[in-house]
Amino acid sequence: MTVSLGGKRRGLRSAIFGVTALAVVVAASAAAADVLSVVQARQGHFKAIGKAAKAMSEQLKSPTPSVPTIQAAVKQIDALAPELPTWFPAGSGPAAGVKTQAKAEIWAKPDAFKHDAAAFAEAAHKLDLVAASGDLSAIRAQAQAMGQTCKTCHEAFRQRDD
Amino acid sequence: MTDERAAPRRGWGPGIKVWDAPTRWFHGLIVVVIGLAWWTESHDEMDWHIRIGCALLGMVVFRLLWGVFGGETARFSSFVRGPRTVLAYAVKLARGGTSADEVGHNPMGGWSVVALLGVMAAEVGFGLFCVDVDGLESGPLADRVSFQAGRTAAHWHTVLFNALLALIALHLCAIAFYTLVRRNNLIGPMLTGRKRVAASSGEADAVQSRSPLIFLASAAVAAGVAVWAAYGFKI
Repeated sequence: MTVSLGGKRRGLRSAIFGVTALAVVVAASAAAADVLSVVQARQGHFKAIGKAAKAMSEQLKSPTPSVPTIQAAVKQIDALAPELPTWFPAGSGPAAGVKTQAKAEIWAKPDAFKHDAAAFAEAAHKLDLVAASGDLSAIRAQAQAMGQTCKTCHEAFRQRDD
Repeated sequence: MTDERAAPRRGWGPGIKVWDAPTRWFHGLIVVVIGLAWWTESHDEMDWHIRIGCALLGMVVFRLLWGVFGGETARFSSFVRGPRTVLAYAVKLARGGTSADEVGHNPMGGWSVVALLGVMAAEVGFGLFCVDVDGLESGPLADRVSFQAGRTAAHWHTVLFNALLALIALHLCAIAFYTLVRRNNLIGPMLTGRKRVAASSGEADAVQSRSPLIFLASAAVAAGVAVWAAYGFKI
């Protein structure tokens, strides 16, 4: 009787342990899936910016630049730029075990990161205003200034490709 | 050694002519141009990097033309050998049986040239389509492909540059081996065009002068391709 009861208790304990372990594993993999989707969304946003920047710089290099194409591309960048800091929630860095070129410094030096991101957003907005004027040489100068903010931030916070 | 020309500055001129001037100038220039391409990229001088890449494309075109119309030792038909010849030469090399009087590319060295030229051609080929991570700097043909494709081209541009460095390192090691171990001076002839060889190997030049018109025509085609590339192939 006692033995049998003890057996039941052991069985119950194992069951509780098993369910808990399973829950932990499920939660962990759900978190990993979450991080992955965050990273993929982030990459999607940056690719959208890259695509727009490519469209713009091709026009700026062209002998016959299309100002409306430049304006549309710049609008896209200006719309995305202010959101940039929100694409880097805590826990979406390299420590999460997901393939990302975001450096741990983003979360280690949040003020410096936000400063660089703000510089980009500001430059993108200014570019939008300059683009509206249609003055190509002014657009070129501001596009270069904005490109510098990309580089500055990437230098500090993005792993180089190799 | 019965031939007094064989010692002690063996390998340096006068000797017989083994490399024509365009082949040697191509070699000297490609070293400088690859160095400049590297320097400009690592110093973020992308406008110059792209111009230099276009020049490199022209040089590869020149070398391919010269491999058909150039001096004997520069021609692919003279140095691209079949696997059996290459294997036989490798065995001979391993046994120390190669002669210090060889002229032109040996059967293994010939494939090294093909590999170097092939990787250079692929490297500039991908370079034409490269887009940088910010979407702001791009190769002359990048406007024909998507941002994503341009990024993939940039990835291969990086991979192939490392492959090129590895081939260059192998090339330098082989030269050092021949010069120091086999006492076969490969450097002198590539600088002066001439090599001292034992009289028994023959007195005749291994390469005959070609009409300057052939050189001028090849160089003009190469320069045309370089300039055309620099304008995104749009003229």
